Amino acid sequence: MSSPALLFQNLRWRLFRNALSVLLSQSWWRVATIAYSCALIWAFLFAVSWYGFHQLKTQPTWRIPLNGTLIEYLFDAFFFTLTILLIFSTGIILYSSLFASSETGFLLSTPIPDDQVFSYKFQGAVAFSSWAFVLLGSPLLLAYGLEVEGIAPWYYYAVVPLFFLGFLLIPGSIGALACLFIVNLLPRLRKQLLIGLIALVILGGIVWMVVWIRQARELGFGSRTWFESLLSEVGFLGGRLVPFHWVSRGIKYAAMRRPDLMAYNLGLVWSYGLFAYLVTVWLARKFYRRGYNRMASGGALRQRFGGHWLDRLLTWPLFFLDEQMRMLIVKDFRAFRRDPAQWAQILIFLGIGTFYFLLMRRFYEQDIGRSFKIGISILTLIATSFLMCAYTGRFIFPMLSLEGTKFWILGLLPLDRSRLMMGKFIFSVLGCLLAGEFLIVFSNLMLGMAWLVVVAHMLAVGLLAVGFSGLSVGLGAVLPNFRETDPSKIAVGFGGTVNLIAGLMLLGVVIITVAGPIQLLHARTPETAIPIAEIPWFVWVSLPIGILAGGLATWYPMRIGLRNLRAMEF
Amino acid sequence: MIELIHVSKQYGNKPAVKDLHLTIPKGELFAFLGPNGAGKTTTIKMMCGLLFPTFGAIRIAGFDLETHGEDARRRISYVPDTPFLYEKLTGREVLQFIADMYHMPKEHSARRIQQMIDLFTLQPFVDDLTQNYSHGMRQRTVFAAALLHEPEVLIVDEPTVGLDPRSIRLLKDVLRAETKRGATVFLSTHSLDIAQELSDRIGVIHQGRLIGCGTLDELRHSAELHGTLEEVFLKMTEEEQKPAPAATPEGAFAPA
Repeated sequence: MSSPALLFQNLRWRLFRNALSVLLSQSWWRVATIAYSCALIWAFLFAVSWYGFHQLKTQPTWRIPLNGTLIEYLFDAFFFTLTILLIFSTGIILYSSLFASSETGFLLSTPIPDDQVFSYKFQGAVAFSSWAFVLLGSPLLLAYGLEVEGIAPWYYYAVVPLFFLGFLLIPGSIGALACLFIVNLLPRLRKQLLIGLIALVILGGIVWMVVWIRQARELGFGSRTWFESLLSEVGFLGGRLVPFHWVSRGIKYAAMRRPDLMAYNLGLVWSYGLFAYLVTVWLARKFYRRGYNRMASGGALRQRFGGHWLDRLLTWPLFFLDEQMRMLIVKDFRAFRRDPAQWAQILIFLGIGTFYFLLMRRFYEQDIGRSFKIGISILTLIATSFLMCAYTGRFIFPMLSLEGTKFWILGLLPLDRSRLMMGKFIFSVLGCLLAGEFLIVFSNLMLGMAWLVVVAHMLAVGLLAVGFSGLSVGLGAVLPNFRETDPSKIAVGFGGTVNLIAGLMLLGVVIITVAGPIQLLHARTPETAIPIAEIPWFVWVSLPIGILAGGLATWYPMRIGLRNLRAMEF
Repeated sequence: MIELIHVSKQYGNKPAVKDLHLTIPKGELFAFLGPNGAGKTTTIKMMCGLLFPTFGAIRIAGFDLETHGEDARRRISYVPDTPFLYEKLTGREVLQFIADMYHMPKEHSARRIQQMIDLFTLQPFVDDLTQNYSHGMRQRTVFAAALLHEPEVLIVDEPTVGLDPRSIRLLKDVLRAETKRGATVFLSTHSLDIAQELSDRIGVIHQGRLIGCGTLDELRHSAELHGTLEEVFLKMTEEEQKPAPAATPEGAFAPA
């Protein structure tokens, strides 16, 4: 075998084949569950997209042609968002796989050229960061093809993956370039630079949102003019030199049976994608090893880490716990805050939350209808719950697995193993409760919802905070992955998928039984205040079901998790 | 074969290796000793091209590691203290991957793989995934992979940790055989008896500085002590560690 590219391709294939064969021989139902879950999510997204496109086309107030400019703007916004997210996720994944993985340490000591090692890791990072977007984007584009006027031709479905693949190279390359730039030029300030960049993106988004909502107020919220104005706001994204605009136009032309223009845009996407990739790999040949050296030797020989004001801040709300438990919680928090790949994602989570809740504040200033407000209020509850579910799945579930090979240290400590789980559980509940309850109270008050709705939402968030934490900590102990050191890979593995599905089911049950009936009641009654005596029977029946579901989701996984943890040998 | 030319390495402002000047000829087994944190692993990482010297240069078989890294690394095999193995590959697949990486012709690679399997007695587990290997099995596989392409320079960091006596014996035989073949072996170890038994020359590094280099007799002479390597090593590193005489208020040094 002469080419390193072929060598790596062969390696990847062997690794995949062996991993799959182990997985199938040990538990084929794990593979089946993952496949089933993906299919379920895909089907749901497809149904929502199809319905959405159908509404845009047929709703009398909208009647937007699906082969017009407005749809192009919509796709521009979609691919622009995708670009930003892919830049960040590829950059973060590459950072850890290029500079903190033992595999790259091994490969860099071999005669394989640096650019080949880089492209091997780059392809892995892009594939890993984009698979979720494939799951998200493919139902949307398939639904568009089926709903567009005259139904898209066969080659539309064949060419969409090609557009997507070519497009992935561009944000992936930008993320990789940013990663190389940060590591090579600013090794001592990389943490600050990363925070600054994320803050800048969030700030830019907030400014744009403020301007956009001010215009929406003038044009009438929800009107067609407003929608057109909204899409023209993202018109700047549709410049002739912007790559994701070529994707939007190419896909639209494919749907409109214009193969000549489709091929032109596909050519543009691929040529620029490959050019960006080549430039990145060329720069990696010059700067990757240099960056590796700077990362390894940029700081002090032995960096001193000590207490931090954030650790002390965390210990305050834990005053009711004993010293041992507090120390366990602070240990987890320290490990988390010292890993930039971890907290950078929290910042992204916070950014998304800020966008949403800023929008809420503006809705308050709008003269929007009561039914609209009620709808927004329940949507806010769902969004908050989704954020909590994603947070616990991504950050809390892998915590026990991350103890990994060091588990024996904790295992030999003179403390009951239940305290390990309780420490993580309290850490998770505290984070979820503080953020979730604040967001839900704040948004409901802004929307002027009745106190009963506020209480119901608070109860739902409380139950979900405790339930998600119980599920993530409990299932984290039932289905740990001690071999993996990357928390994001633990979160998307089998255990993480089971946890996500269980979390989403709990989310549905709690919202339907705890918040749903009150919301319905509030929508029915014209007044904002509902006396307790007038609360109908169905509310009193469904409420305990939700509370029971929340309690079960906490108690049962924790119980079986603890049983599993106690039986574990280290 | 290995030339370290006034090599210094700094982590930020802190020096890890100071002005290390050393030449190791072809076919020599050089033992590199030093207390924890003395700069052994930093030196080894520079010799493999993972780190660049802050000052100075390193040449392997005449190739400068910074300017002709690929040519230099083609001649090296590096066995770190915590070696990496692809968990989802079998031992045989790991060996095949290494053979392909070094562009070994198919027939030659098949023959060498079988030789390594026999030499390190990998046959009972070579077709199992490496994730199921014990420490000893992993270490034997890593050595088989390192020697597969017959490197001109073998750099080994703490190879005997966690190995049973039989494996240590095998390792010693293999290292000796490698030098007989003409390979240069750079062995970093805390095991002084292995260094004493195997090495042609010994280098002692302490606080980043090479404080002694030569045969055991030369080291004894330099330390003015006719004892075992352990005694010589302890005396040399102890002398280096002695605190500097306290300065008097006038700035002159008080007698110790």
